[in-house]
Amino acid sequence: MRSVDSLPHDDLPRQFDNRDALEATLRQLFPQAPGGLSPIPGGRRAAETALAAIDPAAYGRSRNHLDGAVTRLSPHIRHGVLSLVEVREAVFAWLERSGQPPVAAQKLINELGWRDYWQRLWRQLGDGIWRDQEPLKTGHAPEHYAAALPADLLEARTGLACMDGFASELIQTGWLHNHARMWLAAYVVHWRRIQWQAGARWFLQHLLDGDPASNNLSWQWVASSFSSKPYMFNRENLERFSSGRFCRDCALAGAGCPFEASYEQLQADLFPGASPC
Amino acid sequence: MLKPVLWIHGEALGPTNPALLAHPAAPAVFVFDRELIEAQRLSLKRLGFLYECLLELPVTLRQGDVAQEVLAFARRHGADGVVTSAAVDPRFGLLREQITAQLPLQVLEPEAFVALPEPLDLRRFSRYWRRAEPVLWGRGSAAAPPAPAPRWDR
Repeated sequence: MRSVDSLPHDDLPRQFDNRDALEATLRQLFPQAPGGLSPIPGGRRAAETALAAIDPAAYGRSRNHLDGAVTRLSPHIRHGVLSLVEVREAVFAWLERSGQPPVAAQKLINELGWRDYWQRLWRQLGDGIWRDQEPLKTGHAPEHYAAALPADLLEARTGLACMDGFASELIQTGWLHNHARMWLAAYVVHWRRIQWQAGARWFLQHLLDGDPASNNLSWQWVASSFSSKPYMFNRENLERFSSGRFCRDCALAGAGCPFEASYEQLQADLFPGASPC
Repeated sequence: MLKPVLWIHGEALGPTNPALLAHPAAPAVFVFDRELIEAQRLSLKRLGFLYECLLELPVTLRQGDVAQEVLAFARRHGADGVVTSAAVDPRFGLLREQITAQLPLQVLEPEAFVALPEPLDLRRFSRYWRRAEPVLWGRGSAAAPPAPAPRWDR
């Protein structure tokens, strides 16, 4: 590997023997950037491999489950390694190849639509995506939300196996299943009463697909500043879509789980001052 | 523009980048935006992912002040302008202004996912999707599936 300062005009190096060498160079180039490389590689080859593996029908059936057939295309789409047009065409080609009816690919096409929608909104709103689009429907005033994330969350030691698992995965890999993002975001905003912007900044630091529009507007969707009601979940929902993998070993599973309640009870506990929907 | 250089940015790191398609032989540069990286405290994971994407593109890599680096790259190659692809991030608009103050800059639009007439009602996804879905499925022999799809199932 050539050292960083031996290249003409101080160009950054392009030749590396392996990923460890790349990581060492990146640490030298960006000493303030925390952490190491993600196990998820970047590049067109990796993107094409992921695109060739999509199964839109299985995606439609199972995407809400942590073990579902999600595509993991988002980091490649976010950075234009794959264009939305390419993915759209790959989905339609899959339909032709498989002989399945169009409805088999409906959910995946719908999700691509969400990506396009967020980008169109960003173009319209600019940096306004950092501001509440609408008043919160939680019954709590904006100033009652904390401005910063607490250390136990940042260090994945809340004691909740699910939330600590999500935080660890976020920090170590830079990718989270969409449902996990929603659960974690709802926990941050509604259970911990923290401003959604703090959570959004945290996600953008780590997510390989970190896109301010998709990210911030989804946080606002959870918070209820871009939806008609706050998003929440309960233990039954999380346990079902995670096959119980977190609850099994959680110290709080027996008693003290803050998600162990009906939606009606949680609504009353979390949003006592909210107007009925 | 007879002799441009290309400015590649983080929204278009693939072969469908319209600037790369229009000028496949022109020198291209990507600049790691030092100010942005420090302000957002971007993790090494994110920078590494970008770096690996860039290693598969014919592009010179730099870091620092983006506009200054792009202009210096243009001078280095005796270019008479810069070509890039459109970006949504508002920061792109600021950088574009800084470059345009010194050199002509052409911005090429990538192909749209779905072509829809403006203005478009974007207050909720459902309003956008009512317009977009039939256009998307109207191509070829594919028929639009009728059932609405919720965002997150509870």
